[in-house]
Amino acid sequence: MNVADYEPVPPVPYDPELVPALAGFLDLVERIPLRADTIQVNREHFATIVPPLEQLLEGRRIHVEHRRVPGPAGDPEVEVTILRPEPAVPDAAGIYLIHGGGMMLGTRFFGIDEVFDLVENDGVVAVSVEYRLAPEHPDPAPVEDCYAGLVWMAGAAAELGIDPQRILVSGTSAGGGLSAGVALLARDRRGPALVGQLLNAPMIDNSNDTVSARQYDGIGAWDRNNNDTGWNALLGERRFTASVSPYAAPARASDLSGLPPAYIEVGAAEVFRSEAVDYATRIWATGGQAELHVWGGAFHGFAGFAAGTTVADAADAVRSGWIRRVLGL
Amino acid sequence: MPYPPVPFAPEFVPILEIVAPAGAPVPGPEDIAAMRAGASGFVQPVADVIAGRAVDAEDRVVPGPAGQPDITVTILSPAGHRDRLAAGGPAVPGLLNIHGGGMISGERGMDTARLVELVLALGVVAVNVEYRLAPEHPDPAPVEDCYAGLLFLAGAAAELGVDPERLVVMGGSAGGGLAAGVALLARDRGGPALAGQLLLCPMIDDRNETVSSHQYTGIGTWTRELNLLGWSSLLGPAAGGDDPVSPYAAPARAEDLSGLPPAFIEAGSAELFRDENVAYASRIWAAGGNAELHVWAGGIHGFDVYAPDSELAAAAIASRLSWFRRVLGL
Repeated sequence: MNVADYEPVPPVPYDPELVPALAGFLDLVERIPLRADTIQVNREHFATIVPPLEQLLEGRRIHVEHRRVPGPAGDPEVEVTILRPEPAVPDAAGIYLIHGGGMMLGTRFFGIDEVFDLVENDGVVAVSVEYRLAPEHPDPAPVEDCYAGLVWMAGAAAELGIDPQRILVSGTSAGGGLSAGVALLARDRRGPALVGQLLNAPMIDNSNDTVSARQYDGIGAWDRNNNDTGWNALLGERRFTASVSPYAAPARASDLSGLPPAYIEVGAAEVFRSEAVDYATRIWATGGQAELHVWGGAFHGFAGFAAGTTVADAADAVRSGWIRRVLGL
Repeated sequence: MPYPPVPFAPEFVPILEIVAPAGAPVPGPEDIAAMRAGASGFVQPVADVIAGRAVDAEDRVVPGPAGQPDITVTILSPAGHRDRLAAGGPAVPGLLNIHGGGMISGERGMDTARLVELVLALGVVAVNVEYRLAPEHPDPAPVEDCYAGLLFLAGAAAELGVDPERLVVMGGSAGGGLAAGVALLARDRGGPALAGQLLLCPMIDDRNETVSSHQYTGIGTWTRELNLLGWSSLLGPAAGGDDPVSPYAAPARAEDLSGLPPAFIEAGSAELFRDENVAYASRIWAAGGNAELHVWAGGIHGFDVYAPDSELAAAAIASRLSWFRRVLGL
């Protein structure tokens, strides 16, 4: 259906305190409209805004290791970065990180600093996975790479000093969608036990046709057009068919029972609001556990790009509280 | 069981065993008097709740709805606020608070502790309204009494040292539903401007058709059976039926949720009101309105009241304060 067929839907207004941060986000991250023919230049631009890991880690008591680990059966190895506290602690909780970038952009270092405090101060071991990107590597490559990395992490728990019963999968945006997909895969393949799934502004609905998708069509951070580019890249001609995998688009999963406790966070003023709320509601309907926070007037990615604002600080505190509860920190 | 419930967080299980033991008999109208007595038993005198902290309290009888009895309110202010005001000090935001109790029970003193904390944390003036209860006083008596309380707060703003541009209506459970109803009334009657509506696990949908309304049948601090009793007491045979029900009594029935003040909506994931609360937020957003939604994992209905020292209550209260600061510019 054409976008023009819809009545215009007024968007939820932004929190006034976030308006400068949104402008900053758009200027820094979304300088070039993301369309099929601008994916490569956006990748190049993205590479310039993610600082080198060594720079991010300066002054931190964190041990870093990069490793190649087995990929999906018959596919290349995947690269992971392991962050460990120095000195090591026994039976650490583990966080498995999946970066964002619309399924097309970014590296495992994008957003990795979110876990530094947990590693350094709380003795968490974090593993961040480099997965193949669409459109060169459409579904199922990204989610299968992510799952392979998780299988490796759980299998290497003893070596990594991780308590295998306390592994949390976590991601933002596309990384949140892939985290949800990995949690579904782990359930259906009887794979690693997960203590939780942290889905921050997750990209999970290939229809891109919800109320909030229509509200942020041409405006805001990660608008409906960018989102279309991402889903087209990931799913290609399958996108609007019945053969879309629930592991690629978890909103398509018919059964959301038996999943690990979910933490679902989203801004009220972004494309992903409706699908995030719907995913939580469907988990609850099965008797599953989920915590949902929809922050007033918040744009996509506000938590990482509006530090120091009242709402971003509140979101950080609430997210951190949930992580501590599920990991028993 | 057709509707497996979302589990209660472990920290609430021992409390539930005391306040809501499994297998309790299905409540009926004959139990309302005992419920009220039970609620009263938890109410302490205002001075005991304030306990020497820097809060002034005053009870006042103010006009009720046109042609109806007066209503009683308690006004809680930062200590010395009116003296400072007389000396040229600034007005502060004002809260209208509405207590819970399923529309059939409770009294304003139940919320004194919550309000004293807000007065101390935010420097606001809170007006806590006593409203008539169903079934003796069915709809519209409760919501009209509450609206009269808002009219008093707005009309007495200058005297109370309240900034009329920064009024928030708030409440928990039935009080949250009535707060949502008051916000709808204020919009539709061109009444006092509101800066926000804080709806804590609000009781807003008389139809009892959501998944969560079934999941908490016979379990939890507010069961499906209690909810049916509350709604039938408020609305009589119209409750849950096809006949028109006032949107001011059951705000989930409102067809238009545009043009409302920013909403803060909070619920536990393990309570009956979860789905109607999420739906209310979703409908506000769909109208281009401003709402913030928090659904706390494993939270029982009223978890911060039943378990004020729980981890979840501390996190929820901090989130409320953050929202107040944002909508009130504090």
